Order: sequence, then structure tokens, then C-alpha cells
Amino acid sequence: MSVIIDSTTRVLVQGATGQEGRFWTKHMIELGTNVVAGVTPGKEGEDIEGAPVFNTVRRATEEFPADASLLFVPPGFAKDAIYEALDAGIKTVVVLAEGIPVHDALRIRRAARSAGAMVIGGNTSGVISTGEAMMGFFPYWIERVYRPGRIGVMTRSGSLTNEITAEIVKSGFGTSSLVGIGGDAVPLTRFAEVLPLFEEDPETDGVVIIGELGGTMEEEVAEAIEDGTFTKPLVASMGGRTAPKGTKMGHAGAIITAGKGTVEDKVAALEGAGALVADRPSEVGELLQSVLSKVG
Amino acid sequence: MKLFEHQAKELFQEAGIPIPEGKLVSSVSGLDGVAEEVGLPCAIKAQVLQGGRGKAGLIQLASTGDEVRAKSEQILGRLEDGHGLLVEQALDIDKELYLSITPEPVSGSALIMASAEGGVDIEEVAQHTPEKIIKEHVDISEGLLPFQARSVMFGLGLKWSGVKQGSTMLLNLYNLFQKYDAELVEINPLVITQQGDLVAADGKITIDDDALPRQERFSLSRDFFESDIAYEASQEGIPYLKFDGDIGLLCAGAGLTNVVYDLINYGGGSVDSYVEFGGPNYRKAAKALELMMKTEPKVVLVVTFGTIARADVIAEDLVEAIKRLDPDFPIVTAIRGTGEEKVRDLLGEVGLEPLEDTEEAVEKAIELAGSAKR
Repeated sequence: MSVIIDSTTRVLVQGATGQEGRFWTKHMIELGTNVVAGVTPGKEGEDIEGAPVFNTVRRATEEFPADASLLFVPPGFAKDAIYEALDAGIKTVVVLAEGIPVHDALRIRRAARSAGAMVIGGNTSGVISTGEAMMGFFPYWIERVYRPGRIGVMTRSGSLTNEITAEIVKSGFGTSSLVGIGGDAVPLTRFAEVLPLFEEDPETDGVVIIGELGGTMEEEVAEAIEDGTFTKPLVASMGGRTAPKGTKMGHAGAIITAGKGTVEDKVAALEGAGALVADRPSEVGELLQSVLSKVG
Repeated sequence: MKLFEHQAKELFQEAGIPIPEGKLVSSVSGLDGVAEEVGLPCAIKAQVLQGGRGKAGLIQLASTGDEVRAKSEQILGRLEDGHGLLVEQALDIDKELYLSITPEPVSGSALIMASAEGGVDIEEVAQHTPEKIIKEHVDISEGLLPFQARSVMFGLGLKWSGVKQGSTMLLNLYNLFQKYDAELVEINPLVITQQGDLVAADGKITIDDDALPRQERFSLSRDFFESDIAYEASQEGIPYLKFDGDIGLLCAGAGLTNVVYDLINYGGGSVDSYVEFGGPNYRKAAKALELMMKTEPKVVLVVTFGTIARADVIAEDLVEAIKRLDPDFPIVTAIRGTGEEKVRDLLGEVGLEPLEDTEEAVEKAIELAGSAKR
């Protein structure tokens, strides 16, 4: 059993008919993802790699029940598309769009909670069960970057994830599941909310989190370790140690304000809880080797 | 998008939040009769977006008409083009409070913060005496309820007449927060005058950039940026940051950029600028390179490890842009990820060596920056 998705998860793709939607849906299917249908208003009757496209999520799920939905929709339309998925009873939604308005994100977070659903993103590269299934756009076929194994990964970044997973592979490990939390200021699901899934996952021996400056998600992970909610070895990569204060370093969430959210704060919290923190990507592998002797 | 004080106060006035009598003056000729119009003594406030205006001498008090003119002229002389001065009637201050509303990502609510210790750096108060800050979480789908506004104001120790004024003000402020997709609405100081009236002496509003497409009233004009390059980048939708060092970073992905920025600093190098080349921008190589050429770095370091930002597309566009623009700085590349197998041949066309390792690329860039003559 993987975290979030596996090859049996029935996946719907909203906004599948655009350029990126088509390119990546093809890759997802090639990896083994069970894409059952696509949704693009006004495009019913088309197909995407053999999966039929419908005008609405309701129509799609009447014929093809889905467990999860992946959204290739622009940020301004994300809220509507997510609500449409929740309305149809879908419990796992992954939204890739970067730059969902903050007030929308707050509303989505509440709506997801009342629906008992997990909405992941935005500004994420998605979710992957290595070698099994993917919702998103990781280059899973590059062997020096993605190899099946027993390390879980949670990340606030896309490109840095490839950098780190390459280091994980280089040091003799592989990844079980990867969850892209995303780089926006209001992540729709937070590190600490995914952590229990990795704790329970028998296929995961340890977890790597790819954090950065800004926000309090890394501190929440430290709390989960401290209160015993999470007990497996945890290695964190922390970027933005030398970032100038008050500068929004690309990601909306990567800004230090109100005297908290600095990398120093996060490192102190994580190390205080017993986690290991890497200063640079190449240290992630070494730290994993120090806590998990058995390669896997 | 941070609004200028006078823009924030215009919104306050429309929302029924009391502000001091005041007038926006954009040039020396506009100073005639201002003191009489707003009433002496006056506060003269430069309309700039930077913080710390008081310390920088960009806010001054004047008690006579002549003084208003002299000080205004002096400040106007220091300002380049921009939004000019706000000349306001100085308030008769009894007490200064703090009031703000921001999004709170953990609970998914709006967070009201209020303090009886206003007028100072609220971050200091938050850090050292957090008990002096009153917090109230607002369910964003319900909006702020009157009882919540009242309890905030009672919490500040106000008398009933102050509570009535203050809670109306807070409800109006919340409406602005919601209507304009604000990341911050803040009144600091919120002044209680000797007469017992509550007045917003200052105003800060930051509108969520991601919501600007639906906030038609405001748009980011040149005034909101530090440089022409920053403005140009923004018009293209390309995140751009300017620093003081040598190496121009053309990176795909903010997370990777943060790490590369660290690695450069660890290695003793320095960053000149950062042009974001990932996510929706990965097909904009030519524009990104043009921006880089304008910031005049000693070396450009291209680091990508793309997911959606495809390495083959980036390399192809970059090579085309280099051929056309012929930049005069050395370029170090580590372009990897989706489509990377095509990168070596593409970059070879312009004599670039594709590196596979980020740390190796960083070292190379630092070395080249050290030996560059510029």
C-alpha cells in the first residue's frame, strides 16, 4: 500500500486536454497510473490517451467512478474545479497550479476539511508512488533520479526534489512515495498532515522532507516527532539559510516575516526533536546512510 | 502588491474608517494653501513603499504654514518621481493601538491581531511580549461576526464608547480585507485622540499578487518597482530579484534556487540577480536572457532540474536566444530533468558544456566570477 495513490487508484484528470495535460497524462499512463477519464468543459467526446473526456466531473464519475482527481487548470479556476471534484465525492485532489489566490486557498482548505477530503497543492509537481503510479509531472523514468525503494519524501519544491531524489539514489536508497506539498503561501495540505500516512506505511522506513525558509510547516513536523506521532527516522533538507530577510525567494511561501520562519528556527526545532538536517543536497544521502544502515 | 499609504487611506475612507484630514501633494506648486486646508499642526509623510519612514526623515511634523512648505519642499526634493507627499492634520494623541488582519494558513482562517501597544514595531512586541497581542480567528466563509469584533475591542481595554467605534472600524476593515483579496490590512498606529475618537493614523494594505487578475482597481505600474528591469520582468510574469553580487542565477524552481543561492554563499561567491525560469516561465528563455543581460552579471549560472520545466525545451530555447543575443558573459549550465538526454547536443551548438552536478556548476560559476574582469 502506497501513500495517497497506487496503481489501483482510479484517477480523473481535470483540464486534461491542454498541452501540458496531454503530455503528462500520457506519461502517467505509461508509468501504470489508472487514468479513468478526463474532464474539460466543452470537450466531451474527445479522448486523452484512450480515456474519455467529459464536460463535467459529475458526468465523468457517473460512468467512471474515481478515487482521485488531478487538476491541470489555471490558478484562477482552481477553486471552482476543486469544489467540483469535492461535490462529486472525490476524496483526494491534487492541484498543480501555481498562484492560487490566498483567499481562495483559505476557503479550499476549509471546504476540504468539511468534505473529509485531502486537497494537495497548489504549486506542486504532484504525487508519485515510485514505479507504480503518478499524479503530476515528475520525470520518473530517469533512473538516476527515481528508483523504487523505502524512503518517503515530502517536498515544497519540484526541481529541488529531483536534485534530492538523485542524491537518495546515489547513496544506495530509493523512494517509496513522494508527496509534493507545493510552494504556495497557503499549502492546501501541510507536511504534518501527510506525516501520519508515512508513519503507517509499511513500505516506508524513513522520510526525507524538502523544506525551505518561510511558514511553520517544518516546525509542525518537529512537533509531530516530539509528541511521538511520528517515530521513523527523518532527514530534512533546508534551503534558504543565506536568503536575505524580507525577500520573497520565488515561492510565495518562502518569505521570512514576523521573526519566524527562518531556516535557523526550523533547523533548531527539527534537530531539537531528533531529526537530521542537511545543509546541502549531497548531505541527504550521507545522513540517510547514518540512520538507515540497510540499503533499500 | 503593497499599496501606498494614500491609496490605503482612500480605501479606508470609502469603507467608513476615520482618517485624519489630509491632502496628497505631488509637486511644490501643490503646496499652496495646504496647511490651511488640512489644519495645523501638520504631519508631512512621503509616499514611498519602504518601511522606516520616520527614521529616514521621510515623515516630519510642522507647526506653521512656513514650516509645512519648507519641510515639504525638502522631502519632495529627496523623492524621485513617485506618489509625492501626504500632508495631514497632526492628531492629538491619547493612546496608540495596533490592528491588523492577515490570512492564517494553518487553520485556514483570517487572523485578527490587536494590541494596546501600537505605534511601535509589532514584530518586536510579538517576539518579546506575545501576551500583549490579542488574536481572533475568523472563519473566512462566515466572515467576521460582530461579537468577535467587540471582544477584540474589550480585550484592548477600551470603554464602551471606544468599543462601539472600534468594532465598527474592525468590521469595516474586515470588509476591505475580503473585498480586495488582501494579504495584509493594518492600522498602526490606530490613534485614540484626546477627544476619545478612534482614527487610522497610518494604513497598510497588501493585495495578493495572485488575485490581481480579478482586482481590476489596482495594477502594478512602474511606481511599484525599484527598477525598470524589475518592472519589465513583472510585466512578463517572470519573478526577478536583484542583489549586490557577481553571479546571475537563471534557475527553474524556487526551491532549487534557494539551495543554489546558499551553495554560492557557502562557497564564497555572491549573487547578482535571480530570474525565475521554471514553472510557467520555462518557455521564456529569450526574455529571461535579455533580463539577465540588463542586470550585467559577471557570470550567468543556469541550474534546472525540471519536472514540468522540460530540459530539452529550456536548452533549445536558450541556445536560440544565445545565438540571437550573443551575451558577453560566460554561462555555466546544469540543465537536467525531463528531456535531459537531448541537452548535451543542443548546448554543444553554442559551445556550452552541460554539467550534471549542481555543486560542480556552482563551483565553476564562482571560479569564473572571481576571474572575470568586469
